Amino acid sequence: MSRFIARRLLLLPFVALGVTALIFSLLQLLTPAMRASLYITDPKQLNALPDIIRKYHLDQPVYVQYWEWLRQVLHGDLGWSETAREPVLTAIRGYFPATFELALYSFACILVLGIWLGTLSAVQKDKIVDHLSRSTSISGASLPTFVWGLVLLMVFYGHFGWFPPGRLGLDADLFVRSPQFHPYTGLLTIDALLNGQWWLLWDALRHLVLPVATLTYFITATLVRITRSSMLETLRADYVRTAEAKGLPRDVVVDKHARRNALIPVITLAGLLFVGLLSGVVITETVFNWPGIGRWGVTASQQLDIPAVTGFALIFAGMLVLGNLCADVLYAVVDPRIRLQ
Amino acid sequence: MRMRPWSIRTAAAFTAAIVSLSLGALVARGAGEPVKNPDTFVELQFGDVTSLDPDLAYDIYSAEPIWPNVYETLIIYSGSSLDKFSPMLATEVPSLQNGLISKDGMTYTFPLRQGVRFHDGSVMTPDDVVYSFRRFLLQDQAGGPAWLLLSPLLGVDSTRDKQGKIQVTFDQVQRAVYAQGNSVVFHLKRPFAPFLTIMAAWGGVMPRKWAAAHNDWDGGAATWQKYNNPKTEDRYQFDHMNGTGPFMLEQWDRQNKEVILVRNDHYWRQPARLRRVIIRSVTELAARRLQLQQGDADLIVASLNEQSQLRGLPNTVMQTKLLQIAVQTLQFNFKINTDGNPDVGSGKLDGQGIPSDFFADIHVRRGFAYAFDYAQNLSSAYAGQGILPHGPIVQGLLGYDPSVPTYATSRDKAIAEFKEAQGGKLWDTGFKFTVPYTAGNTARQVGATILRDDVQALNPKFQLSFRPVPASALNEILFSHKGTMYFLGWFADYPDPHDFAQPFLSANGYFPVRGGYNNPEADRLIDQAVATADPAKRAAIYKQLSMIAYNDLPYLFLVQPTTYYTMRSWVHGWYYNPIFPGQYYYTLYKQ
Repeated sequence: MSRFIARRLLLLPFVALGVTALIFSLLQLLTPAMRASLYITDPKQLNALPDIIRKYHLDQPVYVQYWEWLRQVLHGDLGWSETAREPVLTAIRGYFPATFELALYSFACILVLGIWLGTLSAVQKDKIVDHLSRSTSISGASLPTFVWGLVLLMVFYGHFGWFPPGRLGLDADLFVRSPQFHPYTGLLTIDALLNGQWWLLWDALRHLVLPVATLTYFITATLVRITRSSMLETLRADYVRTAEAKGLPRDVVVDKHARRNALIPVITLAGLLFVGLLSGVVITETVFNWPGIGRWGVTASQQLDIPAVTGFALIFAGMLVLGNLCADVLYAVVDPRIRLQ
Repeated sequence: MRMRPWSIRTAAAFTAAIVSLSLGALVARGAGEPVKNPDTFVELQFGDVTSLDPDLAYDIYSAEPIWPNVYETLIIYSGSSLDKFSPMLATEVPSLQNGLISKDGMTYTFPLRQGVRFHDGSVMTPDDVVYSFRRFLLQDQAGGPAWLLLSPLLGVDSTRDKQGKIQVTFDQVQRAVYAQGNSVVFHLKRPFAPFLTIMAAWGGVMPRKWAAAHNDWDGGAATWQKYNNPKTEDRYQFDHMNGTGPFMLEQWDRQNKEVILVRNDHYWRQPARLRRVIIRSVTELAARRLQLQQGDADLIVASLNEQSQLRGLPNTVMQTKLLQIAVQTLQFNFKINTDGNPDVGSGKLDGQGIPSDFFADIHVRRGFAYAFDYAQNLSSAYAGQGILPHGPIVQGLLGYDPSVPTYATSRDKAIAEFKEAQGGKLWDTGFKFTVPYTAGNTARQVGATILRDDVQALNPKFQLSFRPVPASALNEILFSHKGTMYFLGWFADYPDPHDFAQPFLSANGYFPVRGGYNNPEADRLIDQAVATADPAKRAAIYKQLSMIAYNDLPYLFLVQPTTYYTMRSWVHGWYYNPIFPGQYYYTLYKQ
C-alpha cells in the first residue's frame, strides 16, 4: 500500500504543474489591457492603462510570465492577490479554515444522514418511509441552495433571531481579535474549546447551524440515492439471503453484513463530495456571509486575478489528488478483498 | 429496518423544543428593543477596501475609513455644504479677505493648528504636513489620485511622461509645497479656482518619521524616485494608519472584509461618542437587511433597485433622495476604430454597419437625442431615483443652471434629424451597430433596451443591438477607441464644475480623448473659468460651456442619480454631504 501511496503522491507535482500551466495559458488569451483591468476600479483610470501594463509586465510573452510565476512558487511565494489584498498563500491560509470548518460539520451531517436515510429507504423499499426519505432528499437537491439558504435565514434569524449569518457575533468577533485568544487551528469551534471559552463555542456553533443545514439538505440527496441503490443491490445478494435463512436478526443482517459492502460506491462519492465542499461552496458562503475560500475563488476569477486563480487551482489540484487517494485507501479498509497494487 | 422508538421520541422532543423556543422568541421580540451595542456602530455595505493609504486609495470604499475618519485634511466642507469650508488641521480657511490667498491667486497659506497629535502620540509639525503633500504628489501611482494636485501645483497630470519616464523634479515640488514658520504654503502653477475644494477632500496628513521608519520615503530629494509609482501593497500605509482623526485603525480584516476603527481618546477636539466602528462588506442584500432588522447592523448601503425591499422595515429610517454629484451619460464616439471591430458591422454606410465617423454628424447625434425616452429611462433604469440633468454641470455645483435647454423626446424631431443625416442618405440606407454595456449593470441594460426600441420604432432599417461585456472587456473597447455608443458615469473627485467641464468638454479631457470630441472654444472657456476667482463670473462661463454641450451634443446627459441610506432609528447625528465617500462617524451616536 505504501508504494501505491508514494506513487500517487509523486504524481501530485505533475498534476499541479499541468493544471496551472493550462490556467495560465487560458488567461493569456485575454489581452494585456483586459488583464490590467484588475487594477482599475473606475473607468477614469483608463488613461493609466499603458503604465499599469508596463508596471505588472502584462505585455511579456506567456512563457516569461509563467516562468516568473513558477520561480516565485519554488521560493514558496504564490504571488499577490489583488482581490484578497494579501499574498495568495496568506489568503488561502485565512480562508481555508473557515471553509474547512463548514465542510467538516456539513460532511459529518451529510454522511450520517445520507447513509442512514439511504439504508432506511432500501430496507423499507416502496413503503411510506422510503417515499418520505426520497422525496425529502430530492426536494433538497431540487431547491436552489440560495432559496433554501435565504428561507432558513429569514425564518431562523430574521424571525426568531437565533442563528445569525457570519462566523461570529460582535462580542465573540472582538474577543477572538484580542490578545486573550489564541488561534491554534483557525477552526473557531476547536479553538474555542482549546481556549476553554464555552460561550465562544456556543456562538460559533450558532453561526454554523444554518449554513450546515443548507448544505446538508442540498447535498444529502445524492448520498441517499447512491446508498439506497447500493443497499438494494447488496440486499439481493446470495450471502444476505443465506444470513437471513440462518435466522440472523434483520438488524444484524443489514448493519453488519449488507451495509458494509454497500458502502464502497458511497466512499467514492463521499470523497468527491468532501473535496467539493472544500473547494468552496460559493452560494452558501455568499448567502451566509461566510468568509470562505469559494467566495474568494469566484471573485478572483471574475476579476481576472491571475495569481489568485492559479494559486487556488494549484492547491485544489493537490487536494483532489489527496482526496482520491484517501478514498482508495478507505476501499481497502472497508473491503479487505480489495488490495492496493 | 424499523424506526427505533428512541429516535421518534428524540424527534418529537426536538420539535417541541423548537416550537416552545419560537414562542418565547416572539414574546421577547414584542417586548420592545433597547439599543443594541450602544457604543459600537456597524455599517454593512457591498464594496471592498483596496488600500488604506490616503495617497493611493482612489475608490469610495477605501476612502470611507480614510477620510475624514482617520486622516484629516487642512480644511473640510462645512456640514452639508460643498462650497463653504471650515478649518480642520489649519486654523483658518485661506481667502483673499484674510490675505492667505495672494492677490494673483497663485499662493495659498495655511496656518497650522498647534498641539494636534497623531495616533502614535507624536505631535503634528509643518514638516509632517509638507511631507504628506509631497508624498501625495510624488508617489503618483498609475491610475491613482495624484493628478488632482499635480495639475494645479505643477501643471502636469502625472510625474511620468507617456513612455513612463520621470518628467518632474524635486525642486519643482519643493517650490510648490513648503513650510513657512508654522504655516504651510502652496504655490500654484497657474490660478486654479477649485484649489480649496480639492484641499478640503484630499491630502490626509501623516507623520514623516513614522512613514520613514517603516520603509517609506524619508522626504529626501535623492530618494523619491525609488518610491514613485509603487505597488499598492508595497507600502506600510497599505494596511497601517496613523492620522490625526477621531478614529484609529484597530484592524483591517481582509478575510472577513471588515475595517474596525476605535475611538481616538486623545483627539484634538472632543472625542467621538462612538467607541468603535465596524465597516463590513456583505454582498448578499438579504443578509444585510436581516442584520439591520435584528439590530446587529446600524446602517446599511444598498443599490437603487433594492430600495423597495428595505422600505418600511420596523425601527429603521430611510434617508432618501440624496442627490449625488454625478452624472450618467450615453456617449458618442466621433472617430470609431473599425479595425476588427465587431460592433460596427460592415464598417460602412450600407445599411449593414456604420462608418468610423458616423457620430461626427450632428444630425445623427440629434436624431438619437430626440429619439431617446429620458423619462422612461429615469423611471425604469433608475427606479425614479434621480433627476434629469441640464448638461455636464450638475445640480449642487457652481454654475448649474436649470434654464440651460435639454433635449426632450420627440419622434417628429428625431425623424427630421435622421432624414438630414449623412447627406440625406441615412434614412434610406439605415444603419446597423451594437452598443456594448457593462455586464451586470441593469440600469445600463435597461437604457440600451430603451434606446434600441426608440430608434427602431422610427425606421425598421435602423438596426441597433446591445451586448453585455465584462468590465475588463469594456475597458479594452474604450481604450482601443472601438466603442460606438456607450453608457458611462462620472462621479466627482471634488465638487467643482471644473471637475465636470474638463473631463467632458476639454479636448484633453477624459471622455474627449476616448470619443474624439474637440471644440477650441470650449477649451478656451475651461481655461478661463478655472483661472477666474469671482464665483459669479465663473458661473456665467460654466453656463456658456453647458450651452456648448447642448449645441455640440457630444453626449446625452441621462440622469443625475440620488442615493439613500437605511439606518436604525436609534442612530442620531447623521448628515449627508455628497462628497463624503461614506459616513462621518464623528458626529454619530446611538440613543
